[in-house]
Amino acid sequence: MYLAKKDLEKALQTLSQKAVVFAPILETIEDKVSDAKTVEKKFMPYFDGAEVALEGFNTVKPPKDVLFPNVEKMYKYKTGAGAYIMELLPEDSQKIIFGIRPCDMRSIDSMDKVFLTKDYVDSYYAKRRENVTIVAFGCLEPSRTCFCDSMGLDPNQAPTADLMMNVAADSEFTICNDCGTKVLTDDGKYILTPQTEKGKALLEQLKELLSDGGESYQDTKCSLHIVKAENLDEKLSKMFEHPIWEKVTKGCIGCGTCTFVCPTCYCFDIDNENHGAEGCKYRCWDSCMFSDYTRMAGGANPRPTKKERLRNRYLHKLEFFNERYGETLCVGCGRCIESCPAHLDISDFIEKASLVEIDASDYSEANYSEGRM
Amino acid sequence: MAIDHECSCNKNPLVPSLCQVIDVKQETGDVQTYTIQTMDGKKPFSPLPGQLAMVSLLGVGEAMFSITAQGEDYIQCAIKRTGLLTEAFHEMLPGQVIGVRGPYGNSFPVDDIKGKELLFIGGGIGIAPVRSLIRYCLEHREDFGHMDILYGARSKSDICFKEDCLENWSKEPDTNVYITTDISTEDWDGHVGFVPSYLEELGFQPEGKKVILCGPPIMIKLCSESLIKMGFAKEAVITTLEMRMKCGIGKCGRCNIGSKYVCLDGPVFTLAELDELPDEK
Repeated sequence: MYLAKKDLEKALQTLSQKAVVFAPILETIEDKVSDAKTVEKKFMPYFDGAEVALEGFNTVKPPKDVLFPNVEKMYKYKTGAGAYIMELLPEDSQKIIFGIRPCDMRSIDSMDKVFLTKDYVDSYYAKRRENVTIVAFGCLEPSRTCFCDSMGLDPNQAPTADLMMNVAADSEFTICNDCGTKVLTDDGKYILTPQTEKGKALLEQLKELLSDGGESYQDTKCSLHIVKAENLDEKLSKMFEHPIWEKVTKGCIGCGTCTFVCPTCYCFDIDNENHGAEGCKYRCWDSCMFSDYTRMAGGANPRPTKKERLRNRYLHKLEFFNERYGETLCVGCGRCIESCPAHLDISDFIEKASLVEIDASDYSEANYSEGRM
Repeated sequence: MAIDHECSCNKNPLVPSLCQVIDVKQETGDVQTYTIQTMDGKKPFSPLPGQLAMVSLLGVGEAMFSITAQGEDYIQCAIKRTGLLTEAFHEMLPGQVIGVRGPYGNSFPVDDIKGKELLFIGGGIGIAPVRSLIRYCLEHREDFGHMDILYGARSKSDICFKEDCLENWSKEPDTNVYITTDISTEDWDGHVGFVPSYLEELGFQPEGKKVILCGPPIMIKLCSESLIKMGFAKEAVITTLEMRMKCGIGKCGRCNIGSKYVCLDGPVFTLAELDELPDEK
């Protein structure tokens, strides 16, 4: 089915009647001191007049917080006389993530595996997940750090989304003055393909705005192509003591930005906040790049330096997760590359690790460097 | 999407139940054993030997501890004062309300060690998890062969569970107890020396024997080397690991060693299993 670009706003209004619709929206942030204006694109609840930007580059932060909020209350309690513990579950409200990219959709698949399988179901995540419908948007223009197709994804398809949205092949574009990316003209059309029952229900809500047809879509390729060994996980399992780790860690300043922007990072901390005798237990995102993450009472720390911490992060993405859940935890969204203040580059690491000799006793750039493709 | 709510605990696994401390026992200068019951005087849950409990002091924090013993209507945790939370635990008096969730982790492989001779080696507070298995084996004494218990502490006053270690266990049938202290003190006339060297001195035979080894990392390392020198197979040596934990159910990420989570896949591993994991223990 087709949805005309000019009807996109109506579609979002319609969907907003039954659910909170999280869409990529441009927000202008004014610096009160310098009057400088910056535009940031982020997933936020749709409102009338919101500047929705499905096209263009992906958002700086992934929409994972819709399912796994940055901070989430778990239970409240009272200590002392009349002590109690009361579970706090998320409300039963319907949400739609509208316009998620294939890389971020695949990240949600990974989070589903973590939070919903292996003996325990995470009640908080499960409650949110059940109430979320996901509309994915096939990328129109990859950013310079996009390499999802090297990680086995297709930037045009998100097979596990409830509804898939692509730009029709015969659409026309203009170039956005603000960001310099391709934007669909008002005559342009989106192709909507339901992939689940939830997706069909969504389409039903929009039927008055849809027209028949729609098969061939704009085929997009990633901009960054890297060499990735077929059996990289197995290879890395033999490289725990490899000299590559010293080199790759060199610039890291341990700021944790990579984990904050990563759509697949799901580690969390649990802490409490007290108001007198009452308080609440909450969980919040944590980062394996911080030394306190594994530091035990008494001071022992199995990952004492940034070398062990970065090694654990990369191996978790590229080896450990494969062993445990059967898939790689890096989806090639490129956010950590774009955001790292020290220019660490996981795609560069993947390529180097793919090319390097497993038993290299020395590691120098010249040994493997074949350059980016 | 339909979510399969097949959870091993049938409720929100991250929310503790209110329990009460009914007894506090000072084991050593910095170790106390807490006897824990539900608010209505029942056993919080029935753990397998070696399993863990997430114990919280509401408003202060929560941490994972081995369950050292259990009875009809209680579980016990022995906790060493090491950080902010355990400092606060040590202020507790009987009647204190706490939060408890669990049991977590795998357990000692009681079926695998059935019919075998057993050598228990503990060091310091590391005797706490070992004790849960010793108690299990004593309760099912006919299922197990000869038992040797080797325990080392810094000095006599640092010996945990003094009644068990110095009196009760040696009276059990077919059970030998060997206690050593790191330093010589006036009140101690037993063996003085570190656990690994005493272990070699005692010269246990590996045939038909399983070893359960818990203690500080350096003791585990040196004892493992001694045991291998003495001819024990890595499959026959069972140990427990410690890592910082938050969720206890394999989600929050921090207690991993390679692809294994100590809270869920551990804390009990054989030396052979540890060999398969990255060297980050």
